[in-house]
Amino acid sequence: MGADRDKSADLVQGTLELLILRTLATGEKHGYEIAEWIHTASAEALSVEEGALYPALHRLELRGLLASGWDVSANNRRAKYYRLTPSGRKRLKDVTESLRRSSSAINRVLEAT
Amino acid sequence: MAEWLSSLRQRLNALLRRRQLEQDLHDELAFHVAMREEQLRTSGAIDAHAAARRRFGSVSRVREDLRETWAIAPSVTSLVRDLRYAARTLRHSPAFAAVIILTLGLGIGANTAFFSVVNAVLIRPLGYPDAERLVLLEEGFPQARIERLPFSPLDFEDFRVYQQSFEDVAAYRNVPFELSGGRTPERIMGAKVSPELFRVLGTGSAIGRVFSAGEDRPGVNVAILSWGLWQSRYAAAPSIVGQSIHLDRQPYIVIGIMPAGFVFPRRGPLFNGEPVALWVPIAFTDRERVERGTLHANSVIGKLKAGVSLSEARAELDLLSPRIAANYPPAVRNAGFAPKLFALPFREGISGRYQAPLLMLLAAVGLVLLVACANVANLILSRTAGRTREFAVRAALGARRAQVVQLLLCEALLLSAAGGALGVALAYGTIKTAPAVLTRTVPGLEHLALDFRVLAFTAAVSLATAFIFALVPVPTLDRRTPVDSLRDDSSRATSGVRKVQVQRGLVVLTVSLACVLLVGAGLFIRSFATLVATDTGFRPAQVLTASMTLPRAFYATASSVRTFHESLVRGLSNLPGVRTASIATDLPLTIYEVRAFTTEGLNVLNGARHTTTLTWVHGPYFETLGMTLDRGRFFAAGEHAQNRSVVIVNEKLAALAWPGEDPIGKRLKWGAAGGQAPWLTVVGVIRNVADGPLGEERRIHAYEPFRQLPDFFLDGAPNQFGRDVKAAILADGDLRALAVLVRREISKLDRQLAVDSIRTMDDHVSEVVAPQRFVALLVGVFAAMALLLASVGLYGLLAYTTAQRRKEIAVRMALGAERPTVMRMVIGEGARLVGAGLLIGLLGALAVSRLVASLLYQTGSFDPLVFAIVPGVLGSVTFLACALPAWHATRVEPVSALRTE
Repeated sequence: MGADRDKSADLVQGTLELLILRTLATGEKHGYEIAEWIHTASAEALSVEEGALYPALHRLELRGLLASGWDVSANNRRAKYYRLTPSGRKRLKDVTESLRRSSSAINRVLEAT
Repeated sequence: MAEWLSSLRQRLNALLRRRQLEQDLHDELAFHVAMREEQLRTSGAIDAHAAARRRFGSVSRVREDLRETWAIAPSVTSLVRDLRYAARTLRHSPAFAAVIILTLGLGIGANTAFFSVVNAVLIRPLGYPDAERLVLLEEGFPQARIERLPFSPLDFEDFRVYQQSFEDVAAYRNVPFELSGGRTPERIMGAKVSPELFRVLGTGSAIGRVFSAGEDRPGVNVAILSWGLWQSRYAAAPSIVGQSIHLDRQPYIVIGIMPAGFVFPRRGPLFNGEPVALWVPIAFTDRERVERGTLHANSVIGKLKAGVSLSEARAELDLLSPRIAANYPPAVRNAGFAPKLFALPFREGISGRYQAPLLMLLAAVGLVLLVACANVANLILSRTAGRTREFAVRAALGARRAQVVQLLLCEALLLSAAGGALGVALAYGTIKTAPAVLTRTVPGLEHLALDFRVLAFTAAVSLATAFIFALVPVPTLDRRTPVDSLRDDSSRATSGVRKVQVQRGLVVLTVSLACVLLVGAGLFIRSFATLVATDTGFRPAQVLTASMTLPRAFYATASSVRTFHESLVRGLSNLPGVRTASIATDLPLTIYEVRAFTTEGLNVLNGARHTTTLTWVHGPYFETLGMTLDRGRFFAAGEHAQNRSVVIVNEKLAALAWPGEDPIGKRLKWGAAGGQAPWLTVVGVIRNVADGPLGEERRIHAYEPFRQLPDFFLDGAPNQFGRDVKAAILADGDLRALAVLVRREISKLDRQLAVDSIRTMDDHVSEVVAPQRFVALLVGVFAAMALLLASVGLYGLLAYTTAQRRKEIAVRMALGAERPTVMRMVIGEGARLVGAGLLIGLLGALAVSRLVASLLYQTGSFDPLVFAIVPGVLGSVTFLACALPAWHATRVEPVSALRTE
């Protein structure tokens, strides 16, 4: 499953997945914070309903890329916080690298003419 | 892998803490909505709460989605939802669904129909309590090279006393009766049975009683009727119990009625295998107790004691055999005529013969289903190409692979359920039209029905097929990325290539399976043809037969029997169109009597007794049946009129008794050399004639004029022996018209005599080979079905690939390629697939045909003719399947094809 899948195929599948991983790279967040960050970082990606974030979050957690814990938030509410696991960090690194590689290839092609 | 494990572990955890999970889901989403609401309120929105909920979307739907994500097994709601969606999708492609349902219906229906045959013959319980403890016992005389026979009266009585392994043993024997009194006399089949029989079978009477111990002595004239006879002849009147009926014109008191559905004996065993309409007690007369080594007519069934295994019983039988042999006169025993007892499970005695062919046929029909599944998988693969966008959207929306698989499975389940339902309907129709002649020969077929066992089988098969063809597309599905498939360009076939490879593989599979079945069909057809062409040793054409039994009460003396014979032969010979008529105790293809004999002049060491089957004849028997004389002559008229102590033997007997010598003039006698029987002189040798199923080895056979049957066998009417009359009539013209005249002639001699059905000898022969014909026919049908399905699948694939290549073909034609070139291209593609399938199929057939070699008659499993013809047949049929799409391909208009792209 994981390791032997085609890396470039995973590239585009789950843009949301990439964004989630990226935002959690800078620290623990709960779902609302993640949504806000993604909204700020790329408005188009979340032109769908906000609720669509949660299935993706939970699937990442099930896959072991994220870990979660319950805590009390800044305004005394019970909230679920997510953080990257080592596998999650690795995945972020792999995906970022292959993105970089293909974009530099495109650049090279563009500059060649 | 690690991800999957992690997901499984967390889900299991969640399963154990369901309430906590629910709470968490609720809290998490509520938190988000609350935060959004606060933020909106702070930035001045009017109805912050509603706005927050709107931006979030449907909370309940997200929660439902999350619940599904965390669930290990699919929830009922998700299944219902997927089933509904699947139904809608299928309704939008009715042609696709119809073809699949039809294909599945055919495959599942054939399997269901055939499994119900296997069920009726091999699996269905016999209907007696503890039937697995029932054992059929037989005697054999290994030294004299006599195979399994029923017991002789004395041997049975000894066995009954000595044995310890069985709770009870009972003897039984088929005996035809003339049932009269009241209505017209009818000929029925009855059985003489030990009183213990009903205890052995664990079944009591429905009305009245069964025989009590001690009723098995001569003079006790009581009878038990079967339910069927009670209904048909006595209108189910309970008052019949206690009244008397007439069997062979003797009064018998009816003491009981057996329950409906009770059948014994059962069809199937070689001896005493005919179901009966009534039972009377078996009673061995003193005459039957006279000698050892004769009258082996009584089959024996026993019920093992609880806890005693069959092998333990067999061990006891090995010990009992010499004890019974010790009771034989020394001369007999020392001549090598010592009995050995055998036992086999009663079920095996009934249907053991059919196990191998039936299982082979079940495997064959399973192959047909496999071909159908492969075709359906192919169709589904073709269709998934058109659904890539749908799957891509689902994936983009976060659908897990498992969810897509669940959807595919729901579609497959719907199709399989419909196919299964259609299959059951088809099977029902097929069973209703099962040929009647087989019901007569194959045991158990009269109970052919779709009982719960069969339906469970159908359900299991349908489920299995659903899984097979639902999961086939799955590997081809995964690799595609959502973005790729959202693009419109269908000429990019990276994932498509893999799919086509799988489809090609499926077509090759179906062709090879069809090839295997075709080879099988060829072998069985060849085997059947060889069997039917076997020289039976006589000429059945234009021979009419009639059988009747002279009731003992009215033919109590030998002279009355002989007078009847004489009058009958005379009367029948004088009928118009009749060339010769004769009667005998039995006709070819059956056995009546087995006897031991000794030949004259051999020293004691070589005086080992032989056994032979024996037929008593009166009149020009051999001439009527067209038997071939090898040496000497047939019986002369004088020898039928007076006892001249002559005998005619067949080649086999002559070769055994007097190897290398001229048998004419040699003498033999029944029994031991020192016995009372007179020496008989051999006056003729005839070619071997078939005594049973055509494929079997011919037996040793002897013929005596009926005149020579000693009077004391017939006088006083001790038993039925010698009173069975089978007439054989050689005539020109229409035998059916003659049958009417024959019946009239018989009633002229004895108005009350009940005559069996009058049939032609050709019918007898045909019935004897009915099972083999059935097998050959079925395998042929299965092979045809498989070939048809494979061809359709091939056609479908080629049509699909050429449709995909329309642009390429158009370009070629625009660049000047001629029609034949294009056709050659397409046909070549098909030919490659067929060739591969043929190769694999022939190799597979070579391997598999060895397994069925035992079922073939004088046909080697590598029969060259069959292996040469099958590729030809397969090739020509599949050529048509290729030619059609090839033709269509050439009809492409280059310009329009290019323009559509």
